[in-house]
Amino acid sequence: MPRWRVLAVFLLPALLLYSVFIVYPLVTALDYSFFEWRGIRQAGFAGLGNYRDLFSVYPYDQQLWQAFAHNALFFAGTMLIQNTAGLLFALLLFRYGRGKRFLQAAFTTPYLVDPLVVGYLWSLLLNPTFGPVNALLEAAGLDSWALPWLGDTRTALPVVIGVNAWQWVGFPMLLFSAALAGIPAEYHEAARVDGASAWQAFRRVTLPLLTPAIGVVSVLTFIGNFNAFGLVYAMAGSTGSPAHSTDVLGLLFYRVAFQEGGVEAIGRSSALAVLMFVFIFGVSLLATSYFRRRERMLV
Amino acid sequence: MKRRWIAGAIGVLAVALAACAPGQGNTAQVGASDQGGEAQGGKAGGDKVTLSLWSWRVEDVKAYEKILATFEKSHPKIHVEFKPFQATEYPNILATGLSGAAGPDVAQLKSYGGLQPLVEAGQLVPLDGKVEALSGFDAKLLEGAKGHKDGKIYGVPFAYQTLQVLYNKKLFGDNGIQPPATWDDMIAAAGKLKEAGITPFAVAAGPDATWTLPIVHEIFGNARYGSTRFRDALLRGEKKFTDPDFTTSIKLIKDLEPYFPKDVVAVKIPDVQALFASGKAAMYPTGSFDLAPMLAANPSLDLGVFQVPPPPGSPVTTPVTPGWADGSFGVNAKSAHQAEALELVRWMATPEFGQLYAGELKQLSAVPGVTPSDPLLAEMAKNYAANGAPYTLLVDFRYGQPNGDAVFRDEVQKMLAGQTDPKAVAESVQKGVGQWFKPGN
Repeated sequence: MPRWRVLAVFLLPALLLYSVFIVYPLVTALDYSFFEWRGIRQAGFAGLGNYRDLFSVYPYDQQLWQAFAHNALFFAGTMLIQNTAGLLFALLLFRYGRGKRFLQAAFTTPYLVDPLVVGYLWSLLLNPTFGPVNALLEAAGLDSWALPWLGDTRTALPVVIGVNAWQWVGFPMLLFSAALAGIPAEYHEAARVDGASAWQAFRRVTLPLLTPAIGVVSVLTFIGNFNAFGLVYAMAGSTGSPAHSTDVLGLLFYRVAFQEGGVEAIGRSSALAVLMFVFIFGVSLLATSYFRRRERMLV
Repeated sequence: MKRRWIAGAIGVLAVALAACAPGQGNTAQVGASDQGGEAQGGKAGGDKVTLSLWSWRVEDVKAYEKILATFEKSHPKIHVEFKPFQATEYPNILATGLSGAAGPDVAQLKSYGGLQPLVEAGQLVPLDGKVEALSGFDAKLLEGAKGHKDGKIYGVPFAYQTLQVLYNKKLFGDNGIQPPATWDDMIAAAGKLKEAGITPFAVAAGPDATWTLPIVHEIFGNARYGSTRFRDALLRGEKKFTDPDFTTSIKLIKDLEPYFPKDVVAVKIPDVQALFASGKAAMYPTGSFDLAPMLAANPSLDLGVFQVPPPPGSPVTTPVTPGWADGSFGVNAKSAHQAEALELVRWMATPEFGQLYAGELKQLSAVPGVTPSDPLLAEMAKNYAANGAPYTLLVDFRYGQPNGDAVFRDEVQKMLAGQTDPKAVAESVQKGVGQWFKPGN
């Protein structure tokens, strides 16, 4: 058999699966988004009509930007809390090896659990009527801290971001641990011989060499956060309770596509799905190429 | 060469897949995948025909099997297979199922706006003239099974829901309270209960509960906004949601907030159900659908029902019981056994079915002349017959996106979170539905 045929035989199964489950739905959504819909019947070409509706029909015109802003906050908060903590844990485990195996396993356990389950679990813990968190706070005399965590527009989003970080912190920790293990010890020793303080050695030697890991973690966090759904749905319902203060694009899509169930649902929700894909895909590409350039500067 | 080969493979694949995509017309062949030889045998000989009946009531399998066994006894040539799906996924499963060959013959259908996507896609058989008994059904309930544009009937209504307050008789007795005759009586009773450390009204406004907020509004505010008369004026375009009466009816919810559980915006439905079932809350403004679950949670609960007395200044001065058609059973336009399917829905319009349905499921049957055996349900039915009114946001304003009910519930939650006021809530609803609602039809 010629070489290309052998290659094709090996590539075809994966390509088939990829086409059926990834490419085809994406192309279909793009196709659907350009049509007017009456239930599941297409009622003529709509051009960019569905896209225009998302930006002009009340309340979607407001909810779209609000949800987008919440996704952005979600991403910023996660980078700040989850990934910083992940790096810190990785450094501590790297520096002080005791109990490393156990702690690594313990930190990564929550992400074996489905986000929906984690969300329901935490909403039970934080329940203002029966939840143990507020009961503990009150028992400790911290009555003023016993807030309706998920029922206050100021605390709900930060709490969701915190729970998300609680679930996923093990992931950046593992990636950073692997990257730290890959940095030759001589670099660090050389820096110390040159008189660098621990902070300087971290800032000038370790951190730059972590660039590839930081790149991967950032891009994956971005993709994950802009696709957030399960956890937010479990903790804040399909409307991003209270008062849309935790609304994200995934929830908006769910409402438009499935929950409100108008005759126009398929067209509008497909348009939103396409917009989300284009944005996430585009930014991920840009970020990846940016980090690649930074990596090249290291060599 | 390699590229062309792969491109060819993708091309073939795309064509094959496109053939089974929805929305492409009549690609599915009627009856193509029917069970074995029954497709031919059903018409020709005396073989049994198997109908498949789809529903969103996973919890009712046993009851439906019992009900359908009665049908099969009088219709020995028809076997009905009850197939329930997860309620939240059901509308999508049904829409897809009806477009293919493996769909149901008879399906449980949502009412009002929830029915329209199926009607507009031509997926259901109009029942006008085919099910005679429908002419005897309550006109208000039939509206839920009609096509919004063509006015044809697409389903046999099976149940309706009514809205009122359930109350704990023991807690009322312990605190020397009677079911209120006036609005002020009700407020006084609520104050008394609150002082005794009991939550007066079991109301939730948390993440899973926003859909109940329009229900709470209907129960307390229907008379205040003017009930059916206001609704008719809305539909004719003579009034808008921004009307002072409607705004005041929204304000009632805010005024009652001190009698709801603390931090109501964080409180979920299971929380208030637990409060009420365990005797920590005295009154539960809710639908008839909640009676059976409450009694299941605590069989020793001694319950009563009352209609909320009209608030001061109401245009309607008698108590009102708002209600709506829960859903209906319709026939798949692509069913290979339409004659038998029609036979089944015809039976679903008989008192025999209605009585079985009401008895087995403890719900209010939509079939005329069926009285529930449960005394509380019977009282609800009596109240609805005497003072029934449509829950207008659900009944009339779910025909477009955004639907009125959805805008309203979000805004009311915002109001309870202290982020907006009744006037702005009313303006948002008007603005939302004003984009698609055309008065006068």
